[in-house]
Amino acid sequence: MNGVAFGVFLFLFLLVTVMGFAAARWRRAKTMDSLDEWGLGGRGFGTFIAWFLIGGDLYTAYTFIAVPATLFAGSVTGFFAVPYTIIIYPMVFAFLPRLWSVSHRHGYVTPADFVEGRYGSKSLGLAVAATGIVATMPYIALQLVGMQVVLQVLGLQPSSGNWFLKDLPLFIAFLILAAYTYSSGLRAPALIAFVKDTLIYLVIIVAVIYIPHHLGGWGQVFHTVKSNFDSSNAAAAAAGQPATKGVFPATGVGQWAYASLALGSALALFMYPHSVTGALSTRNRGVIRRNAALLPAYSFLLGLLALLGFVAVAAAVKVGNPPNAQLAIPQLMEDQFPSWFAGVAYAAIVIGALVPAAIMSIAAANLWTRNIYKAFINRAATPVQEARQAKLVSLVVKFGALIFVLALNKSFAINLQLLGGVWILQTFPAIVAGLYTRWFHRWALLAGWLASMVYGTWVAYDTPSPTQAHFGSSVHVFPGTHTGIYIAITAFILNVVVAVVGTVVLRALRVPDGVDGTRPEDYVADIGDEGVEPELNPVQPAH
Amino acid sequence: MNARSTGLWVLTGILLVVAAVPPLLVPVYARTTPTLWGFPFFFWFQFLLVIWAAVLTTGAYFLAKEAYRRDRAARGMRNGGSR
Repeated sequence: MNGVAFGVFLFLFLLVTVMGFAAARWRRAKTMDSLDEWGLGGRGFGTFIAWFLIGGDLYTAYTFIAVPATLFAGSVTGFFAVPYTIIIYPMVFAFLPRLWSVSHRHGYVTPADFVEGRYGSKSLGLAVAATGIVATMPYIALQLVGMQVVLQVLGLQPSSGNWFLKDLPLFIAFLILAAYTYSSGLRAPALIAFVKDTLIYLVIIVAVIYIPHHLGGWGQVFHTVKSNFDSSNAAAAAAGQPATKGVFPATGVGQWAYASLALGSALALFMYPHSVTGALSTRNRGVIRRNAALLPAYSFLLGLLALLGFVAVAAAVKVGNPPNAQLAIPQLMEDQFPSWFAGVAYAAIVIGALVPAAIMSIAAANLWTRNIYKAFINRAATPVQEARQAKLVSLVVKFGALIFVLALNKSFAINLQLLGGVWILQTFPAIVAGLYTRWFHRWALLAGWLASMVYGTWVAYDTPSPTQAHFGSSVHVFPGTHTGIYIAITAFILNVVVAVVGTVVLRALRVPDGVDGTRPEDYVADIGDEGVEPELNPVQPAH
Repeated sequence: MNARSTGLWVLTGILLVVAAVPPLLVPVYARTTPTLWGFPFFFWFQFLLVIWAAVLTTGAYFLAKEAYRRDRAARGMRNGGSR
């Protein structure tokens, strides 16, 4: 263990811990005992705070570890994260303001609230909520994986001892996170996101200038990577194995996979409950659109970070035996940076895991509370009871994720996260189509959701890779072709087909369609309109 | 949407499509040359697309803001809630 790196790391970690608890008093409301306050931070965040919060939410520590790791391992497909995060924002620009407006006017806290109100169907709301929860759980677990690799490089993981002792630092970090999320709600990650993103920008900008300079410049880096991959492809070919490494997707197969992963992930991202939580916490209708123009700064950063995977190849970083590509970025920083700055870099990644983990657990707790607890268990729940329930569930969700990572195989979490992306996209028709039209029949949407969930899960299970029999890849061969595309997209097409055909049939049979609780003007309402009062006035003193 | 805002909304839509579609045309940019400051085309072009999309989305923001203002005025609602 390096004392200086550890000291800097510990200082920054303690700083955000204090901020996390102090956040309860930041932009203080009269009471924290409602989901609008605990679960949406008072719905009062302006453009500046929202930029940090949503950026801190979407660009997670796991992304920062996993994307460069795929490039390090020789698969340039991982760079699809860049086109993916380009496509998102024009889409978000189009539909999220409508979700914001209707959610504010009706007090919706979750996307499932909206679906339930729009279609008059608790079952469809339950389907959307359950999908959101199961897709989010492994995502939280992977944030822990991101923290784990940093703690490992820091030397805080003794190789001996039982699983509890071995992961004690992780355990403590998560316990602290759980405590301040419990007391401060969404205000905690919103405040910590300032530190997280400042550190991440600092570390990555320094890394992309400083490290390649030591290795002879970016041209030299790409040159070294190319010859490295060429020789490893030649070795694979000589051994009769497929040559898979490359510095750009040279074949049609690779290009289809690249484009479909980008498109499918972009369509899915704002179906994740934590993304919606971030968007609904904003102050007025314009904040989301302004952020759609400002958030691409993070995409630029992510692209630079992804290329550090190649830098790690050029720097001949050692990632253990058996090799674990996820160690590439922390190890690169350990090798190349002076120890005090390595400490800053480790803190950036660990804090980068805390912010999304907090928001995800809050989002999952909101879903449970609104669309399962209040919809089915305690229909007369008061706002105070809702807040209490959500706080407790946020703890359950986090400890569930912790046990997941510590007790089960890590690859199980990664497989489930792959599945989570496939699953969450299947709520798209109910949510996004519902923002524009009531044409779809509620049971047809439910049928489409069910069909695509089953199909997507089965296909993902059935897709092998050279190293594993199941869950081998996010890409499968599209039925009837030789082209590989993202599984989520195929399932999504099935979903839409079932929903359209089902709607036509159910309409012909005159099956009751449920009561629409919304009106057309709800979708364009803004702050200050009737029923869209500012829920929090930060100037107002607390009693 | 009304007669005074339709054109602006259409233009906003066009800007958004032109921002979102190029990243999907992978065969166009899946190549190594020409390089820029040592970066293969495949990479620097995608960085350029990030900036391209951000600029277009910014333009769309101002168009949509004006179109939304006209829609509200047409419905006799006050403006100014959204700065």
